[in-house]
Amino acid sequence: MSVIARWLGPVLLLSGAAFLLSDYHNDVYRKMLLWVALALGYNFLFGICGQVAFSHFAFYGIGAYSVVILLFQFHLPLPLAIVLGVVICVLVALAVAIPSTRLEGFYLALATLALAQLFVVVLNEGGALTGGTSGIANYRLPDIFGVRIRGPWFTAVIVLLVVGTYAVLWRLDRSWFGRACRAVRDNPEAAAAMGVNVARTKVIAFTLTSALAGIAGMVYAFVDNTVNPPIFGIDNAFLLLFMVIVGGAGRHAGAVIGAVLLFLLPFWLSPVVGHHHVLVFGVLVLAAILLQPRGLIGLFDFAKKPS
Amino acid sequence: MRNSLLAVLLLFTAPVLAQETIKIGVITDRVGVSKPYSEPATEGIVFGAAEINRKGGILGRKVELLIEDDQSRPDISAALARKLIDQGAVFILSMSLTAATQQQQTVTMEAKMPQMTPMNSGDTLTTQLQNPYFWQTGPLGSIQIATLLAHARAKNLKQVALITDNSDLGQLLAKFFKAGLEKSGIKVVADEVVARGATTATPQMQKIRAANPDAMFMSGVLTAENVLIFKAYRELGLKIPIHSSYNLSVPVYMTVAKGLIDGVTFVDAYDPEKPEVKEFETAYKKATGKDSFNLHGYGYDGIMMVGEAIKRAGSTDKEKIRAAMQGLAYSGVMGAKGMTYSFPEGKRAGYDPNGMVVRIYEGDKQGRVVYVGQK
Amino acid sequence: MQDFLELAVGAAASGCVYGLLALAYLLMIRPTGIINFAVGEWAMVAAFGGFLLLSKLEWPYPLGMAAVLGFMLLVGWATERIAVRPLVARGAPLIAPILALLGMLVIFREIVSISFPPDPHPVPYAFGIGRLDFGLLGGSYQSFFIIGVTLLVFAATWLFFERTLAGRMFEAVALHRRAAALMGINLFRVTALSFAGGAGAAGLAGLLVSPNISAHYQMGVPLAIQGFTALVIGGVGRVEGALLGGLLLAFAEQLTVRYAPIPSGFAQGVPLLFLMVFLLVRPTGLLKARA
Repeated sequence: MSVIARWLGPVLLLSGAAFLLSDYHNDVYRKMLLWVALALGYNFLFGICGQVAFSHFAFYGIGAYSVVILLFQFHLPLPLAIVLGVVICVLVALAVAIPSTRLEGFYLALATLALAQLFVVVLNEGGALTGGTSGIANYRLPDIFGVRIRGPWFTAVIVLLVVGTYAVLWRLDRSWFGRACRAVRDNPEAAAAMGVNVARTKVIAFTLTSALAGIAGMVYAFVDNTVNPPIFGIDNAFLLLFMVIVGGAGRHAGAVIGAVLLFLLPFWLSPVVGHHHVLVFGVLVLAAILLQPRGLIGLFDFAKKPS
Repeated sequence: MRNSLLAVLLLFTAPVLAQETIKIGVITDRVGVSKPYSEPATEGIVFGAAEINRKGGILGRKVELLIEDDQSRPDISAALARKLIDQGAVFILSMSLTAATQQQQTVTMEAKMPQMTPMNSGDTLTTQLQNPYFWQTGPLGSIQIATLLAHARAKNLKQVALITDNSDLGQLLAKFFKAGLEKSGIKVVADEVVARGATTATPQMQKIRAANPDAMFMSGVLTAENVLIFKAYRELGLKIPIHSSYNLSVPVYMTVAKGLIDGVTFVDAYDPEKPEVKEFETAYKKATGKDSFNLHGYGYDGIMMVGEAIKRAGSTDKEKIRAAMQGLAYSGVMGAKGMTYSFPEGKRAGYDPNGMVVRIYEGDKQGRVVYVGQK
Repeated sequence: MQDFLELAVGAAASGCVYGLLALAYLLMIRPTGIINFAVGEWAMVAAFGGFLLLSKLEWPYPLGMAAVLGFMLLVGWATERIAVRPLVARGAPLIAPILALLGMLVIFREIVSISFPPDPHPVPYAFGIGRLDFGLLGGSYQSFFIIGVTLLVFAATWLFFERTLAGRMFEAVALHRRAAALMGINLFRVTALSFAGGAGAAGLAGLLVSPNISAHYQMGVPLAIQGFTALVIGGVGRVEGALLGGLLLAFAEQLTVRYAPIPSGFAQGVPLLFLMVFLLVRPTGLLKARA
């Protein structure tokens, strides 16, 4: 009971905010929250488990496309489409992860980069199934128990997703599994000597975070009620990496700060400095790494505990 | 003394300030992949708005442009459409990627917000969503291929090659090019794609050479990759005629593909001999000190058409603007001599199917119009 | 057959460009372990240098080439000073400079994107446009020029590592940083030199390939990915591996497009699949480092 109470507060607070915002701010808020969900998962994979993968956005796309295709081309009911969508993400993630755990560091990065590019090729060449370059549009979220979820209520769904993602990852991080992940990141040989199954730990972390990205993608599919290939390209995968680094890799709060800051940056800067905002972004990333290796969350720690 | 002067000044300017401007939103790309096209077209819009204001505005009110940068990211683009709606824009001009325009539509359809793209040419923009608040005045891919084929009819083409790049628009145009070719009973014997970032197009051109086509059709829109294709064509000593989409009408090819494009046939929405075009180019030069070309014209026609629709609506009521826009017939800078944009029978793609022209490169210069329409 | 030989010359030229980019990675990875994805952006900077000096100011080709390469050495050295040395001096983990260099990648691209119009810019060929035929073997002047220059660079690099004292010093650092430092080797100097050399190799690749692909602000990332792929295929252990990896990648790409009986849209995916399978079967690359 107390567990529910602990998570209920943030859920109410974060979704309550949606009802005070204008349409535009609600939309930005929704998309920002989705980035936060992605960054949390990616932080677990990269920051806590030490795997540099660029496939996170591909899984986001697999989730989005599979739920849309299952719902509107195969006409499955929503719960079944969601479950099947997760199954697809898990299967693809396992197919990638099991052989890839033999790869270390940037070899994994390259393999997943290839996967991400391959995914976009498949989307573009998918014909009627994926809608090709135009993607799929002209659908909307089916009614749930006769209720049409829209506007701030849909924002509340995203809040549930983010808080749920956070809760799962937070719980995992504190469990035996989280410690195993950190051990694998810091020193795989020592972890193996301590009895951690390194390969299995890596596979589980990769599959789990990829499935979480897929679930976030399913929600994304109904934010604008359209899915198209450019969203799931490799540019966004790099942006996600930057978010986690700037915020502070390995810390949940860091991922949140990084995602919020870098997502909102162009919105703030574009009116002030025009198209120079990407340059500012680059300088900021460089400065963050050079001056504050633990990310912005490190600054926060420093302010809290001046020593 | 100075204070009282200020007060007097304020007294005079106050009524002008109080008169609210008509806000028109523009979503463009200043840093992403469509920047080379979005920027000049947006400059055309800025010039057009200044012209409108110089002549007294619309309905006695000044036009104010709200320009947003979507970085060619469709999700950001949709959010910006909402921003413009919240800020009181009465019309949105979409100047970015086709996918971005599409994603904005999901917003404008819901909010019943008039939206137009003066440049995007993908046929699917008005067919995928039934959005009565959206119009497209760019020359459609299907019109481009039909015009090229009408011009080439005398050549009696039997089998041709088709080559494109893997950009979204390039592949979309290729789809409509292929459909147009097959409809005319012409066999596509080689259907090639050059990937963005490729270092050579030799293997593709070898395949085309081996297929022995009567002509090669190009639908790619990435300048660098198109230049790569011309270089491979030259290197392999190919002689087949080239027919290209409107992408070759952008003047950058005259410098970046110097010596490679003589004799290339391309379809254009711009006739330099047209009086309106001469007038536009002179006025643009006078106002900005810079030269203009067809991309500026797309943006200019876009803002002028929006202005005309608001004028005819007689108010900034969105429903009235929608009705005025749907009933609009407008002649502007773009198109063959005497072409009119119109939206008959509820159609929302307004470029006249007979309004494109065919031109041929002479040396490195774009030649005069040699063919008009698709009849 | 003639088709195949003609394709082979073109593919070899592309492979040489990939090989030079892989060499740029390798020069930096060997002594420092740092993977610098900004090599693509370095190639872009050199391509724009070629545009400015050779197209706009119309300098003679050798002079322009030398000036661009000299400038690139400087760029590499400066990059190391800004984004790498402070982190290494502090003893930051290896990932920190890699990420800082990703930040540099964005900065390079945006500086170019702001300074030049967005359209592609022409860069001239070394010997103009034309075709050379040796019996069945035929290709453009530029293809042969690329192959020649690349072979020269690889031969020189190989000799440097195998036959000179300075090269031996690099190898010592590659094998064991701390031991090398104890032997009196200045690690910072080796790092600075390796970055300057990396920028030189990447810049050369950019200058050689830009007459084909033109100079534009988005040319960097594809080149960086192609070069890194070549490096991984060849293996990071040996100089000649970079060239081998580049050639293999280029042939895989171009033979697929030319001969594979699949829709051309999918043909771009085949090298990606090939790479994934290759990584899984042989993650250490083709050539192993000598013990």
